[in-house]
Amino acid sequence: MSSWHRAQPWVSLVVRLALAGVFLTAGLLKVGDLAASGRAVNAYQILPYDAAMIFGAAQPFVEIALGLLLLVGLATRLAGWISAVMMVAFIAGISSAWARGLNIDCGCFSKGGVLPPGVTPNYVPELLRDAAFLAMAVFLIIYPLSRFSLDARLDQLSTTDEAFEEYDDDNGEDEPAAPAARQRRP
Amino acid sequence: MSSRKDQNAAARLVREQIAAEKRRKRTLYISIAAVSALVIAGLIGWGVYASSKSGEFTAPRNTNSAGSGVVTGSGPVTVDEYVDFLCPHCKAFHDDYAAQIKQLADTGKITLVTHPVAYLDGASTNQYSTRSSAAAGCAADEGRFTEYADALFAAQPAEGTAGPSDDDLIALGKTVGLGDPFAQCVKDKKFVNWTDHVTTEAGKAGVSGTPTVLVNGKPVQATGPAIAAAVAAASGTGPTPTAS
Repeated sequence: MSSWHRAQPWVSLVVRLALAGVFLTAGLLKVGDLAASGRAVNAYQILPYDAAMIFGAAQPFVEIALGLLLLVGLATRLAGWISAVMMVAFIAGISSAWARGLNIDCGCFSKGGVLPPGVTPNYVPELLRDAAFLAMAVFLIIYPLSRFSLDARLDQLSTTDEAFEEYDDDNGEDEPAAPAARQRRP
Repeated sequence: MSSRKDQNAAARLVREQIAAEKRRKRTLYISIAAVSALVIAGLIGWGVYASSKSGEFTAPRNTNSAGSGVVTGSGPVTVDEYVDFLCPHCKAFHDDYAAQIKQLADTGKITLVTHPVAYLDGASTNQYSTRSSAAAGCAADEGRFTEYADALFAAQPAEGTAGPSDDDLIALGKTVGLGDPFAQCVKDKKFVNWTDHVTTEAGKAGVSGTPTVLVNGKPVQATGPAIAAAVAAASGTGPTPTAS
C-alpha cells in the first residue's frame, strides 16, 4: 500500500467535512429570511421575479440538506457531483453579474442585495473562493471513500459473512472473500 | 469433471459478482434517497415561503394608485425612495437629505413616493421592519407619514437587537400628534399586509437594497445633490415622462 493509498480516506474526510461546513453555514445564514434570500437571487436579474423568489426560498434548505449528506458521508460521490454543479452555477451567476456590470453583493454567505452607493464590488475573491469549493467537490467525485462515513459503514454491513451465507449452503463456514473484503475497505 | 479447486474458484467468482451487484443496487437506492431528500428540502423552502405570503391588503390613505408607496407633494417629476426603518444607511440618507427632498416636494417640483419596505426582518428579533412600516402606514392613513418617519429614524434601534414594541411605536406616535385612531390601527396590525405588498412590489421593481432612489423610474445615487440634479434634468426636458 502506498502512503497516498493510506492517506486518501483521511484527506477525503477533511474535504468532505469542510464542504459540509461550507454548505451548512451558507444555508443556515440564509434560512432565517427566505424573502431576503429570494431578493438576493433576484438581484442577479437572471430569473423572473417569482421564479427568483422560489429559487431563493428553496436554496437554503437544499444547501442544508446537502451539507448534512456530506457531514454524515452518505452518497458522497453524488453529493460531490451536486456540489460541483451548484458551484459551477454560482460561478456562472457571479461572472454574469460582473460581465453585466451589476453592483451586487453575491449573497453567497449573506442575504446579498445591491451594494450601497460608492461601494464597488470585488468579484474576484468570490470567484476564487467558489473555484476552491469546486475543486473540493471534484476531489470528492474522484475519491469519495472517506473515514467515518456512512457509506463505508453500510459497505461494511453488507460485506459480512452473513451476506455471503445466503448464497451458499456451507452453513457458517468462514467465507474466504469476507475478510479480504473487510480488509479492502478504508 | 473439474477439480475441487476449480469449483471453489468458480464459486468465489460468483460470490464476488453477487456482492458487486448488491453494492450497485445499494448505491442506486442511496442515490435515489439522497436526491429525494434534496428535492424535499427544496419543496419545504418553497412551502415555507409561499405560506408566509399574505394575500389581501388595504392600502392606507395618501398612497399611490398601486398602493405601493406613500405620496408627498404633487410635482411633475416622480421621485421614488425605498427605505427600511431599520437600515442604518437609510437613516444616514434621511438625516442628511430628507429636508432637501421634502423641500422639492413642498415647492411643487416633485411627487415624492416613499416605499417603507420590510427587507430587514431578519435583522431584528421582533420583525421591527414590518411593524415599523405598518405603523408608518397607520400614520399615513392619518396624514402624518412624514412626521412619523422622522420620529422613527430618530429612534432607530441597532440591527440585531429587539426593536421597539408596538406599544413603543404607539408612544412614539403620540410625540408627533398621533392619537387613539393611530394606536388602534397599530394594535390591529391593520397595515401589516400592506407592508408585505409594498415589499413585494419593491422586489418586483428590482429594488434589492435600501436606500434606493428612482427619479422618474431611473436609479439615482441616494444623495441630495444627485437627486436634485436628476430632478432638474427631468424638469428641463419639457413634458414629464411617465414613471414606470
